[in-house]
Amino acid sequence: MATTIPHRAQPYTNPYLAGIGLGLVLLAAFVTMGRGLGASGAFSAFVAWVANGVAPGYVARSEYLSPYIGDGSSHPLKAWLVFEVVGVFAGALLSGLLAGRVKRTIEKGPRVSNGVRLSLAFAGGMLMAIGADLARGCTSGQALTGGALLNAGSWAFMMCVFGGAYAVAWFLRREWT
Amino acid sequence: MSAPLFKYGLFGDEASLLVAFAIGIGFGFFLERAGFGSARKLVAQFYLTDLAVFKVMFTAIVTAMLGLTYLAWMGALDLSLVYLVPTHWAAQVVGGLLLGAGFVIGGYCPGTSLAAMATGRVDGLVYVLGILAGTMSFAALFPVLRGLYLAGDAGAKTLPQLFHLPHGLVVFAVVLMALGGFYGAGVIEGRSRAGEERG
Amino acid sequence: MRWRWGSLSVNQKLGVGALGLGFVALFAQPGRGSVVTLDVKELATIIDTEGDHVTVGELAGWIVAGRSDYRLIDLRTDEEYAAYHIPNAENVTLTGLPDAPLERNEKIVLYSEGGIHGAQAWMLMRARGYASTYTLKGGLDQWKEDVLFPALAENATPAERARFERAAARARFFGGSPRSGAGVAIKALPDMPKVEAPAVPAGGAPAAPKKKKEGC
Repeated sequence: MATTIPHRAQPYTNPYLAGIGLGLVLLAAFVTMGRGLGASGAFSAFVAWVANGVAPGYVARSEYLSPYIGDGSSHPLKAWLVFEVVGVFAGALLSGLLAGRVKRTIEKGPRVSNGVRLSLAFAGGMLMAIGADLARGCTSGQALTGGALLNAGSWAFMMCVFGGAYAVAWFLRREWT
Repeated sequence: MSAPLFKYGLFGDEASLLVAFAIGIGFGFFLERAGFGSARKLVAQFYLTDLAVFKVMFTAIVTAMLGLTYLAWMGALDLSLVYLVPTHWAAQVVGGLLLGAGFVIGGYCPGTSLAAMATGRVDGLVYVLGILAGTMSFAALFPVLRGLYLAGDAGAKTLPQLFHLPHGLVVFAVVLMALGGFYGAGVIEGRSRAGEERG
Repeated sequence: MRWRWGSLSVNQKLGVGALGLGFVALFAQPGRGSVVTLDVKELATIIDTEGDHVTVGELAGWIVAGRSDYRLIDLRTDEEYAAYHIPNAENVTLTGLPDAPLERNEKIVLYSEGGIHGAQAWMLMRARGYASTYTLKGGLDQWKEDVLFPALAENATPAERARFERAAARARFFGGSPRSGAGVAIKALPDMPKVEAPAVPAGGAPAAPKKKKEGC
């Protein structure tokens, strides 16, 4: 990362074309697997796996984590979403490399320090995880997948995501603008 | 003829993991292409300067929805075999609000934070650590949140079923809504740009 | 018209395309199973390859493992259901089947006293597009015979004895009683276990999923 390659990062793809690409990937998931995309479920499986290594008794009693371990007949990480999420990482890296956009940096507005931004990133991640676990899905599993399937709960969820985000945006303007 | 292929037993569990990886690559690739590895690009949605989140998300929804509708219409895909997350009104409303707030505070959602991490964003990595901590907290708080988690259970339900409308009508309505939204997004972006130039 | 299409931007072309596809979709009827197509040859093949049923042994294994990715439907009358049913079974009579809240993407296992009603209901369900429907082979009679009250003949080989020991443990799990020795000759089965006797997880809810695979 230290060697700066003297070529400019390419601009992002037209959002509508990227959206069609994303939609076709989602459609491929429906056609092959009969399920949509996801992300937060993989994190739950990962947490269950780590916790099971540290405190198996706790996980066995946990009503939320124990289903991710199951009866022990197959590895908790040998799950569809976990493999998919590893693919997301690889795919994003591939696209970033091709476009010269891989760069070690911190995304923030000009008026906020790195420390504050990273603390807020951590807090936001926590809040997001609790919300996603509660709603049985995140932006990918609920909004995107459920949106295309016209799933009633997913549409309610999606409206609330935008609602919640716009509601707090004003208070956090110093972080971003 | 018989999609979803997996549900018709055309490949097994092991092969499905390879499919998962391949689909994940496609997912991550287009997330990054759209600029969703950058928190500033994502969050601009909520400051109305760049509505790419809305555009990409709704284009993807419309594309996949039309694809599903046509495949099911041709009889190539059995829509009833596609998994629907059961609707739990209360849990999904509260979860959605929390998630939306977390989106602006942290700058990402779970999928995009991975794309950010992959492209070197340190805040993306920290965000992922936050997700892991949040998942632990949720598991610890589950006994308290259990009531909310299960509240408002409506089963697997689609909008056409909820409103007793034909599937095709809802599809058309969503397309119209999305196109209207895209037009509106252009107007809003134009206005923010003009506002910036004015100072 | 041609030059006008050419003068549109990429985004506008996409928009026109989406509008057109959306409009045609107005007439689409991808109804969730409202269209019944019965492929006789396909059904015959499924039956021929024994893809239409699960055995009592498989079902017992699912219940012991706590799987919840299937719906078990008891087709008998309410009284018979109240007297005894397989753990986690729901009571839906044959006539009530069309109105039962079953989804087509669920794995459904049907059973009745013997094998016949289950098989007939299987045909009805398949005809209505419930592709992953199965019958319990031999019905409740077979369940009693193999799972609740497994029997060991007196002249059993060691391998048969070992198998019996496993079956006996399973029988006790379901509240039944294994039969061995002289009693086997008697055709009558012991008393049925009480409905609540089988080890159903607390709360009466279906067992926790073995592995959460769906969702985000």
